[in-house]
Amino acid sequence: MTREEFRKYFDKGIVILDGATGTQLQRRGMPADACPEKWAVENPEALISVQRSYVESGSQILYTFTMGGNAIKLAEYGLESQTREINRRLAELTREAVAGKALVAGDISSCGMLLEPYGEVTFEQSAESYREQILGLLEGGVDLFVIETMMDIQETRAALITIRELCDLPVMVTMTYEDGMKTLMGTDPVTALVTLQSLGADAVGCNCSCRPAEMVDIIKAMKPYAKVPLIVKPNAGKPRLVGGKTVFNMDADTFCSYAQPLIEAGANALGGCCGTSPEFIRKLSAIAGRFTAQKPLETTCAMVSSNRRTVFIRRDKPLTVIGERLNPTGKKFLKEALVRNDMDKVTQLAREQMEAGADLLDVNAGVPGLDEKKALTEMVRAVLDAVPLPLCLDSSSPEALESALRIYPGRAIINSVSGEKVKMERILPLAARYGAMFILLPIDDSGVPETAEGRIEIIKSVFEAARSYGFSKEDILVDGVVMTVAAGNNAARETLKVLEWCSHNGFNTVIGLSNVSFGLPARENVNAAFLAMAVASGLTSAILNPNSRQLMDIKRASDVLKGKDVNAREYIEHYSAMESEAKSGEVRPARNKPTAFEAVLNGMSGEVAGAILADLDKGLSPKEIIDNSLIPAIQKVGELYEEKKYFLPQLIKGAEAMERAMEVLAPYLDKETAGVMGRKGTVVMATVKGDIHDIGKNIVVLLLRNYGFEVIDLGKDVPADRIIQSAKDNNADIIGLSALMTTTMTEMPKVAAMAADAGLKARIMVGGAVLDREYAESFGACYARDAYSAVKLAESLMRNIGGG
Amino acid sequence: MENIKVFRGIRPAYNMDLILSRLGYKRGVTGIDEDFGQLLDSAVKRAESLCSLVLAYRVVGISENADGTVRLEDGTVLSGQALSRMLSQSRQAVLMASTAGPRIMEEIRSLMDTGRASEAVILDAAASEIADAGLDFLMKYLETQLRRRGMALTKHRFSPGYGDFGIEQQAHFARLLEIEKLGISMTDTFMLVPEKSVLAIAGMVDIKQVEKE
Repeated sequence: MTREEFRKYFDKGIVILDGATGTQLQRRGMPADACPEKWAVENPEALISVQRSYVESGSQILYTFTMGGNAIKLAEYGLESQTREINRRLAELTREAVAGKALVAGDISSCGMLLEPYGEVTFEQSAESYREQILGLLEGGVDLFVIETMMDIQETRAALITIRELCDLPVMVTMTYEDGMKTLMGTDPVTALVTLQSLGADAVGCNCSCRPAEMVDIIKAMKPYAKVPLIVKPNAGKPRLVGGKTVFNMDADTFCSYAQPLIEAGANALGGCCGTSPEFIRKLSAIAGRFTAQKPLETTCAMVSSNRRTVFIRRDKPLTVIGERLNPTGKKFLKEALVRNDMDKVTQLAREQMEAGADLLDVNAGVPGLDEKKALTEMVRAVLDAVPLPLCLDSSSPEALESALRIYPGRAIINSVSGEKVKMERILPLAARYGAMFILLPIDDSGVPETAEGRIEIIKSVFEAARSYGFSKEDILVDGVVMTVAAGNNAARETLKVLEWCSHNGFNTVIGLSNVSFGLPARENVNAAFLAMAVASGLTSAILNPNSRQLMDIKRASDVLKGKDVNAREYIEHYSAMESEAKSGEVRPARNKPTAFEAVLNGMSGEVAGAILADLDKGLSPKEIIDNSLIPAIQKVGELYEEKKYFLPQLIKGAEAMERAMEVLAPYLDKETAGVMGRKGTVVMATVKGDIHDIGKNIVVLLLRNYGFEVIDLGKDVPADRIIQSAKDNNADIIGLSALMTTTMTEMPKVAAMAADAGLKARIMVGGAVLDREYAESFGACYARDAYSAVKLAESLMRNIGGG
Repeated sequence: MENIKVFRGIRPAYNMDLILSRLGYKRGVTGIDEDFGQLLDSAVKRAESLCSLVLAYRVVGISENADGTVRLEDGTVLSGQALSRMLSQSRQAVLMASTAGPRIMEEIRSLMDTGRASEAVILDAAASEIADAGLDFLMKYLETQLRRRGMALTKHRFSPGYGDFGIEQQAHFARLLEIEKLGISMTDTFMLVPEKSVLAIAGMVDIKQVEKE
């Protein structure tokens, strides 16, 4: 079947796919721990019987039973050397089952391991693992391929690229999405669609994992951008534990009730995944026959993707900003970083540009003497790990571009393809093979035409060549070619003419902005003015420095004036937020200063000092401040925490503000008052021997100190004898112990016994995740549920002792 | 490490509500103002950037499961009534590890030492949640692969130290998952270092299809 025939196949109506095969084979005796593919080869009657029943139920496309038939997956059973043979045989069996009544799709899925950088399998190992499988399926006579149940867009790309390298059969691709409409690796449905359809998938969709209802939303999200048919294979609901058994909870009628919403959302093919059976497909087929499918779009807008985001470039939308800073030309620090393979600087520049408002990032690794192929690939990996923005791969080296395109997990832009012979012959095919967009640079082997007319001739000729590779206008950004105005009076005008021509002829455009001012002083002014003029001439994207406030201001204003920012919505949003930030910055110092009470209550450590000093200025004594403001405030914090109106970080912030307040007051305290905060009692605190988890204990220490206790903090992993010695030395009222584990909490009774043996009067207070009151009481200790309970408990113990 | 599969640098989706809940937040009762909300968001984001997750799993056969004792195919014996019940329908189980790495703990300690305990507890809660989300990621990853074989994972997982599944059994997990190669070590008292590390087990179960009566 050709790809064109496949496309027409969907003109007839909703295409019915098959249902689950594995679970049907298990019913026919396939053990759960067997290699499913091998078992099917050895039990051909079972496979043929299941697949024939799907054809009889109305399936028009049958998947071969080879989902786990790649070499890496088969290696789990020691069968990797039989990859080709197993796949060939299984394809033959499906052909036999369908007996010409349905199409046979060679089924490919994940290798069960993650690709680099998350897992240990390289992109090329993955591609190689699929290669043998694909060859076997081709030998077995499949009509098309299906790549299904994919969680990782990169592994999906590896499979699709490998198929495309071996044949020109149609390929359907379905990813599996979790709740929240993203794959487990974080790719959303539109991004997957954009990446896959540009890479040559002939149908895209979703299968497995989420429920049919969620798949309706996935199809709805994809449909406005889909140039290919959309396919859906839901599970029969979700596995549920019912009466001690795990079951799929949806029967065929419930399952089929989603057919209409799925078709109305834009699905062109329906089938079933886990838990479905021929009965499901028979009912589905009957329902689907009543509906007409919505055709895929002929054209869309320009779309570029990373693995986590899609950016749309449109003439009627605000200018797309391509950050220019990841280019070592003229940046010594970046050159040096690339030579050292130090990617920290690269990721920092990427983050900064994203925060400044870049939509895409241009990435260039051209440093004389550096292995550009390796450097560009490393840069792409590092940048994509740091930011979700799609990238523009800026290189004239076909080798460097191919290496980066291969591992780029989305749809990139190539910067650039020109009318130069070598670019047309080497880079244009690369863009086609990897589904990339490209920047069309209107220069040829004779150089840059001075006039717009000369450039337009090159644009037409490169576009003609691109069309032969299947590109359309939406896959191209035409570069207006910005020359410096310092060298020619007409330079800017000719560029603007090119932009106008492109705009009238349906091309998106781009300029490398800063060239225009080369050689002039105060370049930013020239750049900004030219940007505004270019937007007026129809510019759709620009490679510029997003960190330039002036440029970004002009961009936003130009978008409004050109009518690209409808109702100035983005403009108003941006500048309102800035104004409110600026206002809050102005107003804050004028805001009523908090009192000492308010500062502690609200955990305002930065402001409490001013409040205390103001109180002292007013003539209040330190004791008055403590008794009338600080202690009531910290007690109120505790009450709010007990009522759950505050949660732990707020409780601690209150204590931190209290601590700061006492530091400020310290020089003013007389001896008597100085003792006031430590008067409640003395506590020796320790995390017991063998235990290293001490954050809980540290919080208790902080709180106790700020609720008026003298605390001796012995740290973590503290032996019992040291705790006892410290309690003796400090005449402690309370020994506080923490332990997180069952293995370490047994230290607590030892400490209690040693304290009793030593005749210490100190009460033992314990806490920690695995403890409970019963355990604490078993060795005569008191139990504190959490940090604030420890404070309350300590206060209560002191009352009983007669202090505090 | 032949049977052990390792994933690095995964950024699993985590649940902010669970981080808040670890900190004692109660929806509709606890009040957070704008400034505090910003502190919370930025601390959680910082935690996310400081966690470099390493995840690992391996599948093990269960040869016997009776009277609160689960014997694995390699002879390892795990004891615990609740664990035994959870694995009662399983012939295989998956052992899992997730560690948030050392950097986050260094930052938490540094915050505690410099009087910024309120931020430290947020980072601490976020790191715990992110390490746990690593195990959620592994379970979802495995479930997608198991489903085609008509199998699923048990809804729950168990970690040593839960209920009667003693913490000392962490040693079996540590050995079977070769945790030192993941950058995790274990103290004599069976604690994991870095602290935000967690080991767990879940069972693999057959899925039945709903049959019409």
